[in-house]
Amino acid sequence: MIKFGPGNLRIPRFEKPVYVVAGGLTDYRKRYPEKNSSQLCTEALRMAVEENDLKVSPEEFRRMVNWVVYSQFADHFGDQLLAASKIHDYIGFDPLGNIEVKTGGATGGSSVLAAAQAVASGYATCVPVVGWERMDEVPTKVGNAYIASAACKDFESELGWMYAAYYALMAQRYQHENKVPRETLAKIACKNYEHACYSPYSQNPGHYTVEQVLENDMVADPLSFLECCVMSVGAAVLILADEETAYRMTDNPMKLTAICGGTHTLRTADRRNMPILLLPNETEDTYKDYFTEERSEWPGFSSFLAARMAAYLAYNMAGVADPIEDFDLLETHDAFTISDVQTYEDIGLRPYGRGREFIDSGDAYMDGRLPTNPSGGLIGTMHAVGATGIFQLVEVLWQMQNKWDHFHAEPERWARYGKTKPEDFRSLQVPNVKRACAISHAGTGSHVTCSIMEKP
Amino acid sequence: MAIELDGTTAEVLNRDPLVIKNLKNWHHIHSYGGWGQFFTALLDKKLMATRCTNPECEEKRLWLPPRCECPDCWHEMEWVEAPQVGTILTHSTVLYPGAPFRATIPCPLISVELEGVCTKLMSYLKEGKPEIGMPVKAVFNTEKPTNTILDLAWVPA
Ligand SMILES: [Zn+2]
Repeated sequence: MIKFGPGNLRIPRFEKPVYVVAGGLTDYRKRYPEKNSSQLCTEALRMAVEENDLKVSPEEFRRMVNWVVYSQFADHFGDQLLAASKIHDYIGFDPLGNIEVKTGGATGGSSVLAAAQAVASGYATCVPVVGWERMDEVPTKVGNAYIASAACKDFESELGWMYAAYYALMAQRYQHENKVPRETLAKIACKNYEHACYSPYSQNPGHYTVEQVLENDMVADPLSFLECCVMSVGAAVLILADEETAYRMTDNPMKLTAICGGTHTLRTADRRNMPILLLPNETEDTYKDYFTEERSEWPGFSSFLAARMAAYLAYNMAGVADPIEDFDLLETHDAFTISDVQTYEDIGLRPYGRGREFIDSGDAYMDGRLPTNPSGGLIGTMHAVGATGIFQLVEVLWQMQNKWDHFHAEPERWARYGKTKPEDFRSLQVPNVKRACAISHAGTGSHVTCSIMEKP
Repeated sequence: MAIELDGTTAEVLNRDPLVIKNLKNWHHIHSYGGWGQFFTALLDKKLMATRCTNPECEEKRLWLPPRCECPDCWHEMEWVEAPQVGTILTHSTVLYPGAPFRATIPCPLISVELEGVCTKLMSYLKEGKPEIGMPVKAVFNTEKPTNTILDLAWVPA
């Protein structure tokens, strides 16, 4: 058990405020042979610079950049070491300094964290964060093995070469302790598939019924195919800047008031128990009846300590007292339905053991108290891993700038990706978002970041 | 003298956009380092864990998977035989494994709780249907060892 000392839980601080200026995406596909990774990153960057009503020209923008952060999960997927160097050159930032960040599925979140640190310290004033993943070079079975090589190769990877099975171990235990009806889990998938129907960027949209999700085949019990995220090709770009630069570029930048990271052992097996780390909206009393004979451990296999750490730091950094009350929008890393419920608890939407209520109460829906994953998430829209955490924040930014319709509803955007805007299209613009949160998460909760964006 | 190619070709999967197949076929030399004794002991049907040798260290329990240094105090660990009977903490069944998987499917993965061990080792159930709380005992693949974690499995106790 790690014993926290006074330095371990220090609340992070930015020396200078950090702003989010613009974002850009590609569409996401299972295979994308038409475009190489450099093209995809250029496309996302150009959307960020050319389609966000910036007050500076692309040429002026290029003269403002002074540091670049690259975000790619797996070199072996793209079969190109130092792909970031190549992309850095192709998108025209050579010879500026750059850094590539890698923290598994949370790589996107961690990359934005690294960029925010650069801006907050005064090291840089204008930092594009460029993320992508190319997961179409190998068959799915090899892709699963590549992802599982991010598990422990000595003691775990050989056991299935399949990350879904490792999540399923946690899911099975979570279900044993908390008995969430499969209908509730299916509702999460249905919600995110439906949201993806209204996104021109989405890879896997669909109108599914709870019954259809319940009846589809198991990947690894208790996770069914429709409850697992996609494997994607695509890119995403987010531009961060200091205050002066941000307002030179746009009249309505958003403020990144917190972005914090936590970790937990790569092997779920090695997670020792400890007292629950309490969020601002919890007290010792919250958990006085939590522990039972069946549910005697924390974080055990049911909770992601990394997510709890990230939320603990970010909430305290941004002064969030109660996430449901204080956030108007949430993007979670819905890699699997059950891991989404686990995350609801880790980030304090409900106390541990009661995550299902966030769905069952209707809170998570577009007309609920905290609309969650209007982007379509990882289940419906994309999981081009290095781009994912960035994609979430791009969608959050557009929502906060009231630009969701601009980026999703215009028929030309659908046509750009060879799609037709659906006849039953509906706007998922959340009105008047003042404060939003996004969670970026890596395999069985080994890394998690929690970002909080606010209207300045 | 003209340069000659070796005559191999990359199969063209698609002309426009051009997509070719790159072949990869080589081995990795995997070193277990200080963890090697764990795998060697499996051949003798022994389940070896490690324990911190620092009397001041608060973690008195065994680590399995083993560690060479204590993560809490960085002291050396000693090898200690772990119990070969435990209970299933949780399970999931692999139906669609990744490409290199070497066992038959469906293959039930289990996390095993062992008395006096601070971790919950991931392994697989070689026989029977897994259930949470079920007692299991270790079995060892010594005939044709894979020299991997697959040489350890469990059966109902
Ligand atoms: Zn020790």
